[in-house]
Amino acid sequence: MDLSREAVVEGLQRLVGPDDVITDEAVLVQSSVDNFRKLQNIFDVHTMPVPAAVVMARSTRQVAEILSFADEHGVNVIPRTGATATEGGLESAVADSVIIDGSAMNQILSIDAYNMQATAQCGVPLQVLEDRAREQGLTTGHSPQSKPVAHMGGLVATRSIGQFSTLYGGIEDMVVGLEAVFPGGRVTRIKNVPRRAAGPDIRHVVIGNEGALCFITEVTVKLFPYFPENNTFLGWTLKDMKTGFEVLREVMVSGYRPSVARVYDPGDAGLHFSHFAEPDDCVLLFMAEGAPGIAKATAEGIDAVVAAHPECTQVDSRYISTWFNDLCWGPDKITAEDERIRQTHNVNRTTEISADWSSINEIYQAARARIVNEIPDITMAGGHSSHSYINGTNMYFNYFFNVVGVGPEEETTKYYLPIIGIICEETLKRGGSIVHHHGIGKARTPWVKEEYGSSYYILETLKHAYDPHGIMNKGTIIPK
Amino acid sequence: VSALRILVSFKVTPDFEALREADWLAGAAHDAARGVETRYVRRVLNCFDESALELALRLSDARAERGFATDLGALSVGGRETQPYLKTLVALGYERAARVEPEAALDFAPAVTASIIAGYATRVDHSDLLLLGCRSGPGDSGTVPFLVAEELGWPCLTQVLEVEPLADDRVRVACMVDDGLLRVTLRLPCVLAVGNAVVSQLRVPTLTDRLARRDKRIDVVSGADLGVDIARELSREPCVLKGLEGIDRARRGVIVGGATPREKARALFDSHLKSALEKL
Repeated sequence: MDLSREAVVEGLQRLVGPDDVITDEAVLVQSSVDNFRKLQNIFDVHTMPVPAAVVMARSTRQVAEILSFADEHGVNVIPRTGATATEGGLESAVADSVIIDGSAMNQILSIDAYNMQATAQCGVPLQVLEDRAREQGLTTGHSPQSKPVAHMGGLVATRSIGQFSTLYGGIEDMVVGLEAVFPGGRVTRIKNVPRRAAGPDIRHVVIGNEGALCFITEVTVKLFPYFPENNTFLGWTLKDMKTGFEVLREVMVSGYRPSVARVYDPGDAGLHFSHFAEPDDCVLLFMAEGAPGIAKATAEGIDAVVAAHPECTQVDSRYISTWFNDLCWGPDKITAEDERIRQTHNVNRTTEISADWSSINEIYQAARARIVNEIPDITMAGGHSSHSYINGTNMYFNYFFNVVGVGPEEETTKYYLPIIGIICEETLKRGGSIVHHHGIGKARTPWVKEEYGSSYYILETLKHAYDPHGIMNKGTIIPK
Repeated sequence: VSALRILVSFKVTPDFEALREADWLAGAAHDAARGVETRYVRRVLNCFDESALELALRLSDARAERGFATDLGALSVGGRETQPYLKTLVALGYERAARVEPEAALDFAPAVTASIIAGYATRVDHSDLLLLGCRSGPGDSGTVPFLVAEELGWPCLTQVLEVEPLADDRVRVACMVDDGLLRVTLRLPCVLAVGNAVVSQLRVPTLTDRLARRDKRIDVVSGADLGVDIARELSREPCVLKGLEGIDRARRGVIVGGATPREKARALFDSHLKSALEKL
């Protein structure tokens, strides 16, 4: 970088005005991390380089000007909207970075109920878009746990997935077009069409780029009819995950498309379902939705599949519907969780991977056993599968540990990264993917070359082609 | 010198936060006699009891640092749903864990609950100090701690926020009172009803802790064991739910105008704060 910290701030102020360049020390320090190092914010102990500024972008033109300025002077920028990232993608890896915050670009530009698509600026919270769609009897079909707080730009940038993915797909199945700004300030728009065979699908250069290639300013996503009155919930208890995975596979292979299809291991089930499940029970659950005939046929089909497994014991569906209605995390739950950590030093972390049906149970068993045996101070190690496909499923490892004998700044090195390492190693060993939906961020870059294998060439070339000066979110996806 | 015996009585309640407004209204409209249907929501520790359980552990730790022995016991009046919590407490170092499973629901029956707790403290546990939350969830009368103290003939302090050891048979207690914080030195035995304490979260046992203490027994005690005829006591306390009514908590909102944060702050100051400050 050829500019001083002060010169970076002055340059940004010239572009967007002084009010939209935040240099308040507390904001900058908090913005140096995301949820990957959440303990640093909870205990106010910070170790990451402090950004030079958070700049609030209010238009595509401003984003282009900021990226042009950054590219010219070699300033590292970190694109951000809802700031809910969990894998270090929003960490400032180098000093005097600039966080481009798109949360003020928060207009819903259209809800087109005839062509069944909605266009929103990057800073529109998904909850806001979903609520507006529902006013017209429509839904985005996207419901990540972060729905109340995550914004559209970030959701597309991190290749997010929602709780109804088995029916509606991940965000990559929903985005029909978008606008993004690349380093140097080049604005690109990908038009909204149902499908095209005009060469490679360039949406996928942008979707999941985690701010390492471009800044997403606008997205257009599909809409679907919303029939909540037909939602049908189904639940069973069973004694082992292997059977649970097998049932999920049979449901998928039979062609049924429930919106929710999950199996919880006993540890994870204990957090949600101890009022009806025994401590050693796994819990299998589904939601069927859609038009009346589809929801009914889906529920009946699932019933028939599970009936062939007498070891599964059906539970009252209201246990499942009641649980489901309280699943999303808004600011209230996040604040309560932070307070719990502050008092108990007991930390909850998650790591999600995917693999084919042949491997998923082995990965779950092997990784869980190693976490319990190799990592100290574990208070719970478990997980669930929550997104299934014709050829495999995901595993969402959910684990808690007490931080003992080290400060909050060392939590990642003593506990979190070693656990991620175990999960990644056991997954890669069996041909799975080390990241199902949270993104690589900076946390999982040590394993990204092995994740890609020979196709790492394509990823690396994309980075060099679109970000030749390396100003986009240094250290994210591509190791620093 | 024998160890000081501390008993904490706790309640496992439905997670009322997980109920939607529609669930409350359904209870009000269709099933007032039975109340709101809470069977399907997960269970949580009553928050005041959670404070009491952690305060007792901290008191035990602090006493150990001074060379005083402590023997912790946990009691819950409730069914199978209390079992995972009792196991957790055993893993955390509670030496004794028991539940009294009443043959009928004890909603709106604080005197019966108090008789059970007092009976257990004297007949089974031989406690020196009893901690419990000052109240539990909706529908709770907040009278159980007083009634227990009455039955035991012990002094009772309410809205307890902190407990520290002083001597082997004394504790120093901080309680919230109307105009501040009251610090009292107490000679045991006594009942402490824990209020809105800063310590609100129970520590979490490791899997190793759980494994090490997995064989410790959870006692299941009946009312008869404690000399309490629960059915007869309940018939003396015929308190039933008559109805439920929603409270309109909607508040008027104003969206402050202005193009920049500075303009919005100015508008907020001019319209809402300026006049209030002028009155000071």
